[in-house]
Amino acid sequence: MQRFLDPVVLAGISSLDLLAKTVVDGFVAGLHRSPDFGFSQEFAEYRAYVPGDDLRHVDWNLFARTERCYLKRYRGETNSQLTVLLDASNSMRYTSGPPPKMDYARFVAASILYLAIHNQRDAAGLIVFDDEVREYIRPSRRQGQLTRLFAGLENAEPRARTNFGGPLEHFQALLHRRGLAIVISDFYEDPEVIVRTIEPLRFHGNDVVLFHILDPQELRPELKGPAILVDLETDREIEVIPEYTKTTYRTKIDSHIEQLRSRVQGAGMDYHLLLTNQPLDSALREYLSLRKAAN
Amino acid sequence: MGFLSPWFLTGLAALGVPVFVHLLRKHVTTPRPVSSLMFFERGIQSSTRHKRLRYLVLFALRAALVLLVVLAFAAPFIRRPASDANGRLFLIVLDKSFSMRAGTRFADAKRQALATLAAKPHAQKAQVLALGGQLEMLTQPISDQAQLRSALESIQPGDGRANFGELGRSIRTMSETVKTPIDLHLFSDMQRTAMPANFADMVFPPNVTLTLHAEAKGTAPPNWTIERLSAPPELSDPKDPKRSHVQAVVAGFGTPAVEKTLSLLVNGKSIASRKVNVPANGRITVDFAPIDVGYGFNRCEIKIEGSDAFPADDASIFVIRRSDPERVLFVHASNDTRSALYFGAALEATGQTSFVLQSVSAEQTTDLDPSKYAFVVLSDAVTLPSIFEHALAQFVSKGGSVLMTLGTNAGRHARIPLWGADAKDVHDYARTIGAATVSQVDFTYPALLQEQPERDNGGWAEAKFFYAASVDPGQARVAARLNDGTPLLLDKQQGEGHILLFTSGFENLTNDLPLHPVFVSFVDKAARYLSGRERLTGSQVVDSFVQLRSNAAPIGEVASVEVIDPDGKRPLSLGEARTVQTYQLRRAGFYQVRYANGRDAAIGVNPDRRESDLQPMADDVQQLWSGSGNTAPPQSSSANVTDEAKYRRVNLWWYVMLFALAVALAETVLASSYMATQREEA
Repeated sequence: MQRFLDPVVLAGISSLDLLAKTVVDGFVAGLHRSPDFGFSQEFAEYRAYVPGDDLRHVDWNLFARTERCYLKRYRGETNSQLTVLLDASNSMRYTSGPPPKMDYARFVAASILYLAIHNQRDAAGLIVFDDEVREYIRPSRRQGQLTRLFAGLENAEPRARTNFGGPLEHFQALLHRRGLAIVISDFYEDPEVIVRTIEPLRFHGNDVVLFHILDPQELRPELKGPAILVDLETDREIEVIPEYTKTTYRTKIDSHIEQLRSRVQGAGMDYHLLLTNQPLDSALREYLSLRKAAN
Repeated sequence: MGFLSPWFLTGLAALGVPVFVHLLRKHVTTPRPVSSLMFFERGIQSSTRHKRLRYLVLFALRAALVLLVVLAFAAPFIRRPASDANGRLFLIVLDKSFSMRAGTRFADAKRQALATLAAKPHAQKAQVLALGGQLEMLTQPISDQAQLRSALESIQPGDGRANFGELGRSIRTMSETVKTPIDLHLFSDMQRTAMPANFADMVFPPNVTLTLHAEAKGTAPPNWTIERLSAPPELSDPKDPKRSHVQAVVAGFGTPAVEKTLSLLVNGKSIASRKVNVPANGRITVDFAPIDVGYGFNRCEIKIEGSDAFPADDASIFVIRRSDPERVLFVHASNDTRSALYFGAALEATGQTSFVLQSVSAEQTTDLDPSKYAFVVLSDAVTLPSIFEHALAQFVSKGGSVLMTLGTNAGRHARIPLWGADAKDVHDYARTIGAATVSQVDFTYPALLQEQPERDNGGWAEAKFFYAASVDPGQARVAARLNDGTPLLLDKQQGEGHILLFTSGFENLTNDLPLHPVFVSFVDKAARYLSGRERLTGSQVVDSFVQLRSNAAPIGEVASVEVIDPDGKRPLSLGEARTVQTYQLRRAGFYQVRYANGRDAAIGVNPDRRESDLQPMADDVQQLWSGSGNTAPPQSSSANVTDEAKYRRVNLWWYVMLFALAVALAETVLASSYMATQREEA
């Protein structure tokens, strides 16, 4: 089933719904059911009463029939709220091969949203932003929420520039309830600015995860000769020589990633680097582990 | 420097390809989108600088490769001095022909040659050659001055005739083996008669530089000589007016009309003299008759009294042998009496030889000894007594000769005595095509010898042949054929002797040849050839050859020959005397020869009379030959020849191609390294 998580294969699936289902089902089929028990409505098993157990959990109906004390146990369940903040700036349009960063970000977002709503029964919402909040879908578990979320993702075409500072206020206003916030972006900004912008979300009790989407060519660009590079967001052009990309650029991008990871983790958030040629399961696994930690 | 194929230089236009690729072609760079230029910096190496610096070497190599390949195809060459003096062969050719005996020509030429030899650089190799009847190489190419000088001084004037055509051929052959340029110095009287009929024969190859040292210039001095001589080699009756006379032609070259006295000397004694008026530059014939000579070989000489510019050619020698008439055995079939009549009449008609014909029928030959006859004729005598046939075979093997004719008896008896093969068939032309004619005649064959035969095959075409036997020639020489290809006259050598087979008859039935004049000539020459007298006496020209023995080695016997030259010495060693087949008469004078068949001969040898014309070549011809003149087209070519001789052309295409290969390898390595860098970057 792993091959269904391959981004190249997923790029051929036009429907986000189907894509998310394929990813999540494939992912879940490889997982073991959680051994934790909780307080959800889903019955798990009966267990004989032992001294010290809370009497509130005794199944009195069963005691009435059998005169024996059994405790009724349920599967663990939380009511987490998941909000995906998706960067839809022009820089996300970059690609060196299928899929583009934007599509990959959509796949990640769709898979996580599907997993949250369909499997975890969490309330899930979506914020699409560039230099402002372009779309906001309130977190909900209502019927049709998943469809709305997917429609929001479909409409999230890259444009404009990234500006974390602008939509910040909206984030804080929108994420007033404790939950899980996943920021998906290529984070072409000073790590200090990024952390300073996103850190306030943490103050509301949210668990914040940064999914850093990068194309492999952005990590190790290949230039066969001097080339003119144009910035997708600013349209600025400069001439770059291969020697630079082979040496200085690599140092800079590696430093940026490391700095971002360090700063983000220093601020109590999680950071996860996703390359567009990697399978999606690492993102899903990250989500589940965070959700478990939150409970 | 030059190019052998300069048109290939147009390929230099291909240099534009690397120039375009490296220098003119603009880098069309499509802007490449990136997410952000946040981490990029402007390249410190501009694309122009990049092209100039990084690919400059590659561009240079590619341009050099194109240039070198084009140059290699254009075949460049450089001219180097053909060689220094030490690299040139110094060739001294001294003319020692008979005409060089005139005046002080030879001494002057030798002195001048010695001076030229002394003036040459000591280290330069030289070779000395003597030009007489043939070109003699007296030394190898050496630089030993003393040896060269000794070789030059050893040259003595000869009696041969110089031939510049022979010189040209020899030098051309030499230049093919001697790769170095040749400086040829010819010391000669530049006699006009030494020129070949075709001037091209005497032209030297381009690497030979000819320097002429003419010893005779201007008008030749007046000279009289005995140009031709006609004397009977054999004489049986000195009082016979038909045969006993000597005819001499006196010729003058550049001479005024003058009265000359000619003397005939026999064995050193003057027996007659004549006074004649020789016209200016003309000729006159003088007769001496009768000639009173004794038995045996008589050494005769006709001499022009009084001296002229060239006394050596004033006398002409010859030998007359006086002997009783020799008998010829004519064996005919019993029913054939006509052939002896025709053959005898023809033999009698010839004035040069004296034979007595003895005619017998085949049945009467039992007791006859063929060795007592000059030669034997078997006229349609296909059946012979076995004892006579055996005696004939012995006679032939020891040097005797037999002439056989095949008449009508050949149709009844296929076997041909002595011949060793049978008659395959007989052609009766009278019943088929009427008559056959003679279509092919070998006029070089002694019995058919004609210097300038007429268009009617020298008279042979007139004869009609009605009957002829067909004989397989085998190893025999076919001297004449009929028009249907049937061999008419065949010559087969057996031992030291010859067998001539005439496949028709002499009886005027099987053909009408006996009625034609050519029959007399044929009988005369055949008789002389068969008797071997044509080589026993008379006169020969210097450098002619005499055949001492037959080509086929005698079976079971090795007979020695003997030659005594005019000085009374024997030039042949004992080993040579047992093996040599021919001998060249290189000197003028009387030779005595004993052939392998035991016959003795005396031969008077005279120089070629063309040597008596002392007129030198015209100056312009000499200039044309040496290539030193200023006249038009040949001069320019000869100037080129001189230029070619002075300079050596060294082709460079091989080196250029080698260099191009090295450049191609360097280009490949360099370009591959660039590509490898790009792969590493990837």
